[in-house]
Amino acid sequence: MSKFRKDGGREVPGVNTSSLPDIVFMLLFFFMVATTTKESDPTVKVERPIGLKATDMTPYKQRSEIDFLYLGEPRNPARAAEFKLGYALFLDNVVQPAAGDLYNTNAISRWKLDKFESKPVRMTEQIENVITCVKADKTAPTILIFDIRDQLEKIDALTVAYAVEDKGVF
Amino acid sequence: MAKREIPEINAGSMADIAFLLLIFFLVTTTMEKDTAYVRKIPKKLEIPVDPDPVEERNICDIRANNQNQLLFRGIPMEDPDLISDKVLEFYQMNQNLNQDQTNAALNNPSYKGQNFPFYSFTSRDEIEQNILSSEDKLDEISNTPGAADDMIEFSEKQLDKWLEKQTASNLLFKKSGKRILREIHFQAHVRVEVMAETEYELFAKIQSEVEEAIFELRDIAAKDIFGESYGIIKKREAMDKLDKAKDGKKLELLEVLYPARIIEVKPNN
Repeated sequence: MSKFRKDGGREVPGVNTSSLPDIVFMLLFFFMVATTTKESDPTVKVERPIGLKATDMTPYKQRSEIDFLYLGEPRNPARAAEFKLGYALFLDNVVQPAAGDLYNTNAISRWKLDKFESKPVRMTEQIENVITCVKADKTAPTILIFDIRDQLEKIDALTVAYAVEDKGVF
Repeated sequence: MAKREIPEINAGSMADIAFLLLIFFLVTTTMEKDTAYVRKIPKKLEIPVDPDPVEERNICDIRANNQNQLLFRGIPMEDPDLISDKVLEFYQMNQNLNQDQTNAALNNPSYKGQNFPFYSFTSRDEIEQNILSSEDKLDEISNTPGAADDMIEFSEKQLDKWLEKQTASNLLFKKSGKRILREIHFQAHVRVEVMAETEYELFAKIQSEVEEAIFELRDIAAKDIFGESYGIIKKREAMDKLDKAKDGKKLELLEVLYPARIIEVKPNN
């Protein structure tokens, strides 16, 4: 009474690996698409000037001891006329301030203080040493940089960094 | 006629090809690094004080106007790439004079380096004495009723400065046996004066050139004292938390030897 077939010699079928490339390609495309280096996509055009011997900001980014702000012409040219000298400011992770906000209110100091308060507790750095990195467009007039400095000085955020493109840093 | 089977193509190596592609992209993709020049904004004083007059020779003045033209120490400059050499010259002109030569040069109006900052020489004993006297002064001011915060802060800064110098000179003595700390004149500074419409590109270029000159000076000193390049020490200090104290002290010494005193003047319009 053998209900179980015992005919030997049956080969175990090999695992079909033909879908493996699909998986790998999917991975490849995922990384190609998903890789971004910026925390936010600024709504202003910024082309950084070239510089040498600049300091690499990566370690500060890893410790969240740095905030970025962007200064350039608005991507939407219709808005350019609303801003002083045609240059708008983009504060990282915050909605762009309304026209003239940079000059009438304390948009920068408010933004900086908000960001400072939301920093992780493990960060022990004082606001004085938390870097504010200004990514300005090549053509931006320097008076705007000094306006930003003035705003930072008011709240004692006394470390500023001027972003450049340094091809020599790896 | 027997039915012939179409042989299946072996797709096993497809995975290898795909992985190869993946690894190729992983390796060749360069991420855009954020690089910048870090500067300190001077703190606003509660009580404005008249600054001491600074001698002409101690100012390395770099100006740029609204048309993006450069003026280096009063002389028009066509090529901004020359700034770093000129700043280097500003620092190095008188640095190889010893104490006696410095005194002689100061009294010699026809000396060629007359318009460049001179160096001062401080022995370890003098630093010690200055620390003691700064401590006394700080005590005296803190015990004065109604002393302004600015005053107390100022004397604290003075004391810190001397303590910093002591740490630096200790390290210098340990590493190279030098008993005397040679520093550029305490007022020597680089002054960046731009106008309202100077383009950021030129402003950044000036910063880049100044940074390059100071990097070069510190690099020479670092190789001389520690046998390492300044870039490596700096990078390690920023990345590595373990070695931080040691590298921090090295950087402190290099900063005492070649301070980056950069004054950025706000354009008025």
